[in-house]
Parts: sequence; C-alpha cells; structure tokens
Amino acid sequence: MLKMEKVNKVYRTDMVETHALNSFDLEVKSGEFVSVMGPSGCGKTTFLNIAGLLDTFDAGHYSLDGADVSRLRDGEMSRIRNEKIGFIFQTFNLIPDLNVIDNVDVPLRYRKVNRQERKRAIEEALMTVGLMSRASHYPSQLSGGQQQRVAIARALVGKPKLILADEPTGNLDSLMAREILDLLETINREGTTIIMVTHDPELAARARRQIHLLDGRLIDLQPDQVIPLYRARKSFPASI
Amino acid sequence: MLAYHIRIAWKSLKRNPILSALIVLGIALGIGVSTTFVTGHHIMSRDPIPQKSSVLYYVEMDNWDPEKGWSDEDPKAAPNQVTHRDATAVMKSTVPTYQSAMFKSYLYVFPPPKLGRPYRGRVRLCFADFFPMFDVPFRYGAGWDRAADRTPDPVVVLSHETNQKLFGGENSLGKSVRIERRDFKVVGVLEPWRPAPKFYDPHNGTYEEPDELFIPFNFVRPMEIRTGGNTSGWKDSGKTFEDQLQSENIWIQMWVQLDSERQKQEYMQFLDNYVRGQQALGRMQRPLNNKLLATMDWLDDQGAVPEEATSFVVISLLFLLVCSLNLIGILLGKFLARAPEIGVRRALGASRMAIFMQHIVECELIAVIGGVLGVLLSILGLEVLTRLFDGMLNFRLDWLMVAAAIGMALLSGLVAGVYPAWRICSLAPANYLKEQ
Repeated sequence: MLKMEKVNKVYRTDMVETHALNSFDLEVKSGEFVSVMGPSGCGKTTFLNIAGLLDTFDAGHYSLDGADVSRLRDGEMSRIRNEKIGFIFQTFNLIPDLNVIDNVDVPLRYRKVNRQERKRAIEEALMTVGLMSRASHYPSQLSGGQQQRVAIARALVGKPKLILADEPTGNLDSLMAREILDLLETINREGTTIIMVTHDPELAARARRQIHLLDGRLIDLQPDQVIPLYRARKSFPASI
Repeated sequence: MLAYHIRIAWKSLKRNPILSALIVLGIALGIGVSTTFVTGHHIMSRDPIPQKSSVLYYVEMDNWDPEKGWSDEDPKAAPNQVTHRDATAVMKSTVPTYQSAMFKSYLYVFPPPKLGRPYRGRVRLCFADFFPMFDVPFRYGAGWDRAADRTPDPVVVLSHETNQKLFGGENSLGKSVRIERRDFKVVGVLEPWRPAPKFYDPHNGTYEEPDELFIPFNFVRPMEIRTGGNTSGWKDSGKTFEDQLQSENIWIQMWVQLDSERQKQEYMQFLDNYVRGQQALGRMQRPLNNKLLATMDWLDDQGAVPEEATSFVVISLLFLLVCSLNLIGILLGKFLARAPEIGVRRALGASRMAIFMQHIVECELIAVIGGVLGVLLSILGLEVLTRLFDGMLNFRLDWLMVAAAIGMALLSGLVAGVYPAWRICSLAPANYLKEQ
C-alpha cells in the first residue's frame, strides 16, 4: 500500500538544519493497522504529512498504492489525496461554518460527485459512525467524541484505501478514545489500511503492528527499551 | 462547483458581517462614483441623431485672414461658422437632399395681453429643410414649404413649451404670434424636442435651453435681425446692417444632408468651385480648405463633451482603482485568517486552483453586491448631475451602463482578489493543520 525508501526531509533556517526524516524506510501492506510511536519531534507528523502528500521531501522514493508519487504536480497530488487517502486529526479540524452533512460532503465536492451519489455516501458514512441523528448539527453543538466521529465519517466518505490518523484520541477522554479505536478497528477489518500516530502505548498496542520513530528513523525496539520523550536533533551545517 | 463556491463565499461573508459590509461599501463607493461619471460622459458623448448622423454634414469654408489662419494650434482648421453672403450663396446648390443655413437670435415675442408681458424669445432662423433634415417631430402641422423660404412668408413653428405658454397647449395652427413688429402664422407645433447636445449649434451653448420659435431665414434682411450667438471676424465689418451681411464676419451655421458618397463628392466640388470663384473676385485668399464634417466628427471638433467631463471619468476610475487596491490588504487579512480551514480543504483533496477559485468567487460575490449597491448610489449621483445641468440633460442609467457598472465591479473584485487568493492557495497546508 505504502512504501518509502531512503526518504529524507530537512527543514532549513539561516542557522539550523533539522533532519526530520533521515533515510526513512517503511513499507505498509494493504489492510494493515499500524501505530506509529515516538517522542515529540521524532518526525511522526512529518512522516504523516509526506505520506498524505501534504508535504514534499528532499530525497528518496515514495510509492502509494503501487504508483510512484515522489514527484507529482499539485493537481495530481490533490486528486490522490481526495481519492485514496482519508485524514483524521487530533483537533478534529471540522469546518465550523458547516453542519455535519456539509463537513462530510467536502471531499465529495472536490471529487465532483453528483448530488444523489453524495447524499447516499454521506448517509452511509454517518450511519457507520452512528451520527445520522446529528446530521444538521454544527460542530460547536457536538461533543469532542462526536466531532471526531464526524471527522472519521469525512475521512471514510470517499472510500479511501488509506487512513492517516494523527493522534485521533489526543483530545478525548479515555472512554471516548476507546470508542474511536473500536471504530477504527471496525474500519480496518473492512479492508482499509490505517496508519495512526499516537503517544498512548495502550492504544498503540491495539494496532496490529507498532513502529517507533527516533531522530527521523525507524528503530527496532527491545522489550525493555524505553524511548526518551525528547531528544534534540538539530545539527549545524558544515559551513558554520 | 461554482454553486458550491458561491455558497462557501456567502457563508464567509456572513461569518464577519461588519468586515464584509466594509468591503462591500468600498466597492460600492468606487462603482457609484465611477458609474456616475462614466454614465455622464456616455450621455454627453452619445449620438444625438443616430438614425441620420452619418449623412448630416456641417459645412466649413475658409474665408479667414490670409496672413493668419483661424486657429493658432491647427493650421488646417477652418472657421467654425460661415458668413451670411457665403451661406446664402451655397444655399443655391441643388446637390444636397436637404440643406439649411441657420442662426439663433433673441426677438421680442408678444403673447396675448391676458397671458403675459412681452418677452425675449429664443428664435432660430432657418430654412424649410431644417425640419425634415433633423427629423424634428411635430405635434400639430408641419414646417413651412420651400416657397415660404423665398418670399419669405410670415410663418412660425412653435416649440411644445412655447405653444403651452402662448396657447395653453391647444392646437394653435393658423393662429397668429407677434414677433417684434410682425405677425406670424403658426404652421407647426413641435412635440417636446430637446436634442442634447444641441448638435446643430453646439458653439452657441451645447446644453442650453432649446429654441422656442422657428421662422424663415430670409427675414434676416427685412427685419434686420442680428445674431444672438457667437460672431467672429477678422476684418472691419462696416457700420450698417447691410455692411454686416456683406462682411467677412462669421455667424451662420450651415448644414446639408448628403445621402451618398457621390452626392458628397458633388457637393464638395460645388463648394470648391464656389470658393475658387470668390478667390477670383479677391476674397478667400487662403488655400482651398472646405470641409464637410459628419455629425459626430463635428461634435468632437467642437468639444461637445467638456474636457472636465473626461477628466472626471479618469479621476473616478482612479478612485475605483484606489478602492480596489485598498481592499487587497483587507482581503489578504481575511483570507489568511482562514488558513487552517484551507489546510483542511487541501488535505481533503482541494487543489491549489480550487482554493484560488473559491476565493476569487468570494471576491466576485463581494464585487457583485458592491456593484449593485454602487449602481443604486450612481442613480443618486446622476440625479444630482441632472439638477446641476438644470434638466438640460437627462442623466439616466441605461442597461449598457448597468452592465458596464457590474463589469467594472467584477474587474475591481478581480484586481482586489487575485493577490490574496494567490497567497492563500500557495500556503503549505501541512503548516496550518495543527492550528485548527
């Protein structure tokens, strides 16, 4: 489903180079549920942004669903995001002016799906997350858990092959977090590949595969090894 | 997709109504001011007789000082009126379909005593062809015939307003009107007729009140009627009235209707022959410089649209541009404030172009609302202009100007919106997704 080889991502300022991903290799097979863990600043979000074609990278290769997506034009990347990838964010990222239906509708609008088909897909997605009764509510009228369900419905509505979830339970209490995980597990069982970034080892353990990032690389973690919460990874360019 | 963009734009406007109102007002003010002056210019420069303007010609002949031309700036320019002797001479031509020499005078008109005191009326002395040549509309009767020109017969055509004043608007054909010391028989009463600009005599008041009475030109000599318009001369014009008529003073306007190019060439040949004849007699010693100016060229030549009107159009368009440029900053702030939402839309599949179009549509929605409001403002502005011109010009918006106003509004929206829309669509979505 997803294959990254020797991917490098460097953030540069006048004084500092930061290697967010450093010869990063990862392969995720279709239908996997992978949790990504690591300390703050280890490159998790950078990895998700690159995986979701929201950011570019400096070197290496990335193929998604069998196609090389390393160097694409904006229009093509947008189409792939729209058709193959669903995003779930820690802060839900619902659009406050739009009600539940209109929020879930957004990806379908950019796919230029006709009205009838959109209506059917939105209803199906809202049924999946159990929020049909809140269809005309606005985000401000929903609880955190309900908002995240709407976000999941929005991620699901276009029937993506891959869902990228960035700490999807980070803003929820433990009960809600478990409900959301249950939902993700259900979605995964139906065949959708899920990559989830989380800080919570208990939730990570529910994924079928756990990977750990440190200093922009994947690491093999021994059972008794503890990952430091934060390690500085800044290095000065040779010219300084 | 357009409908979706319009819906998003509408929601965006409702999100911050005060800011939206300010932006709309900015466009409305610019459109209101520019539409007012563009419409004013449009009305002042429009063809006053579109059905015939291309076959109506103003005649110019150069009788000016051989030592010094008519115009210091343009050596090719000919005097803008003709002498009485030249006018009466060229009126003998049989080439034009219609022709009329004419001038404006102020003569005493004596209403019946019970209706009021004598007053100085604006009288146009002209030939019978004046009325059919300029498609003058009649309510009662018609103009006089060519035979009445020759005698001349004491006949008069009244304007609609004069007929109201002297006869209460009734059919006054056959009634008598005393002008100076003669009685004239009414042969025609006009419909309300107010050509603006007054194309047949623009250098004697382009937008002044219309003529009130029309009498045969040839009364000039028996009644010793002097012009009430501009007179120019370069040579001593003598002392007696007859000296004036034979002088080189120019004060007559000469119009002809020439329906074909051949007719035009023949008439030009006639004029050239006439001037050559005069040159042989010692007059008109300047190089041959006869001109036939079509109506719109003539109006342009006479500056029927005041330079100030053109300047106001330029200033008002610059004002609109300033309004649009001011909006760039406001729109930029408004759009950048929504960067996190745009990050989400990008993540969900919106391309840069889709985001750009979303914001351009929002700008154009603002522009259309501002444009409509601006059109309403311009209606007020045009009402003020109409009053300034004392009703001589009816400054009203026509559909062309409404379309132009909306077009200008859309262009302003584009000018104001392109940079902010480009900035917001160029943002890297990943940077803003965590800010939501």
